[in-house]
Amino acid sequence: MALIQIQNLSVAYGTPLRPVLTDINLSIREGEFVCVLGQTGCGKSTLLKMILGAEAPTRGRVLIDGMEHKQPDRTRGYVPQKYSLFPDKTVLENITFGPEVSEFNMFTRLTPRFLRRRRDIREEAMRFIGRIGLHERDARKYPHQLSGGMQQRVAIAQALVTHPRILLMDEAFSALDPGTRKDMQRLIRQLWRDTGVTVLFVTHNTQEAVYLGCRIIVLAKESADAGAQVAMDMSVPEPCHEHQIPVLVHHLEHASGSARGEVPVFATA
Amino acid sequence: MSVSLQLVHAKPNRLTTIVLSWVLFATGIALYFDIAQKRHRENPEDRIMPTIAQMFHGMTNATTNPAEDDEALAENASLRQRFLASMLWKDTVATSRRFTYSILLLIPAVLLGLHMGLFPYVGVFFLRFILFFDKIVALSLLPILFIVFGIDELSKIMLIVIGVTPTIILDTFNLTRGVPNELVVKAFTLGASDFDVAYRVVMRQILPRVLNSIRLNLKAVMLFLFAGEMIASTDGLAFRIALLRRHMGMDVIVPYVLWVALLLFLVDFGMRILNRKLHPWFQEA
Repeated sequence: MALIQIQNLSVAYGTPLRPVLTDINLSIREGEFVCVLGQTGCGKSTLLKMILGAEAPTRGRVLIDGMEHKQPDRTRGYVPQKYSLFPDKTVLENITFGPEVSEFNMFTRLTPRFLRRRRDIREEAMRFIGRIGLHERDARKYPHQLSGGMQQRVAIAQALVTHPRILLMDEAFSALDPGTRKDMQRLIRQLWRDTGVTVLFVTHNTQEAVYLGCRIIVLAKESADAGAQVAMDMSVPEPCHEHQIPVLVHHLEHASGSARGEVPVFATA
Repeated sequence: MSVSLQLVHAKPNRLTTIVLSWVLFATGIALYFDIAQKRHRENPEDRIMPTIAQMFHGMTNATTNPAEDDEALAENASLRQRFLASMLWKDTVATSRRFTYSILLLIPAVLLGLHMGLFPYVGVFFLRFILFFDKIVALSLLPILFIVFGIDELSKIMLIVIGVTPTIILDTFNLTRGVPNELVVKAFTLGASDFDVAYRVVMRQILPRVLNSIRLNLKAVMLFLFAGEMIASTDGLAFRIALLRRHMGMDVIVPYVLWVALLLFLVDFGMRILNRKLHPWFQEA
């Protein structure tokens, strides 16, 4: 059974109601790396928020492992573009926050068991800090003392340390410079392979989507006042050879940019 | 014109900055004593603009003589004992006590604002009422407070609470709403409960701004405190200032006013240092 099932999902905002997403049907299997591609304002982030459970859809539903989730919880990790770390916590505290709050509440934090467990949690966090390519001494730094790329590295570690089944990333690398961005793309591919987590990666950058995803979903609107629909849903051959990338990018940009609906939905599985 | 004077782009050097920033202080002090001297040459009994000698004499009395005439001290009392029994010390203690109570009562206000901002039901329950309450001119309630709570401590503290808490509640509410939604969502995805989000994520992040907001409202706290003390009190710094007005005791009033300003400055300064020590991550923007 699919891990994420999106059934007849429609979302509309504002008065008068302006449709953002119309009749989205998708099913995503465990372990897929799905890139959601589309132009700015086409509802990519809205789709992600629906899967997160941060907002409720107007119609339809999102099932995670067959269950509807009314609010964000531990099954889905989240890495946004901005504000991805708690500014009041050090790198180490940011990473240990998840395990601490999911295992202890405000009262059990006062027990000696918490102090013992915290040592293990810290050790695991330090291992993660090494894995994402940060130095041990960075553990005591605050987010504002780190570069944008480093911050996103910590944010990924923070999301993965609680072992979520799904990782939702919203333009997570869009504010980074090209060099850093490339490094981050390698890192997330590596972590995806190692952990087997299901990744849903929202981006407006076609190159990035083709490089990262094993499946690409293009969202596009038929007209300016219509909601976005799935214009294309394709698998990326694995391994994707460098020389194939420009061809795929051309295809995809054509699909999301030109007259929608005429482009056949095809899969190259 | 090839050489033009830089205005917006001007960069005063260190010395100029120091000199310019003290000019108004120096002129003010010089002008005061110049006029005071002239008045005293014309009329040695002048009470409106006391000289340094008079103010020194007045303050010596205020700091070494017992506050009440009937509390005579032993002849050989030490300077410390004399100071602890003095008018200035007793007034300062009385005012500080009321001030501390008022500041402590702002803690529930901060918590209420936090819960209003984070929990929609709490928000809708309180928001409209507090917006209305905020518009009531607190000083206009003073007579009602005296009637209801009597003229002792409670009415004075209630005045401060009514005058300042709505501002603090609404400010905390807005700060809470200003916390990026991403962080709240993120905390939930990490397994946090509603109360973890409230106290370990949102409250910790708004706390430095809340402290700054309280610092800005210190003047309002003092304003209401002084209004209460001047109208109905038997001790306190403002009570003394109001009392001395009847005797034209400018030799004590002027130092008292400066003393109050100094105390308030120190409290504000202390809170600023505390804020910086408690929240090293906070970037003032």
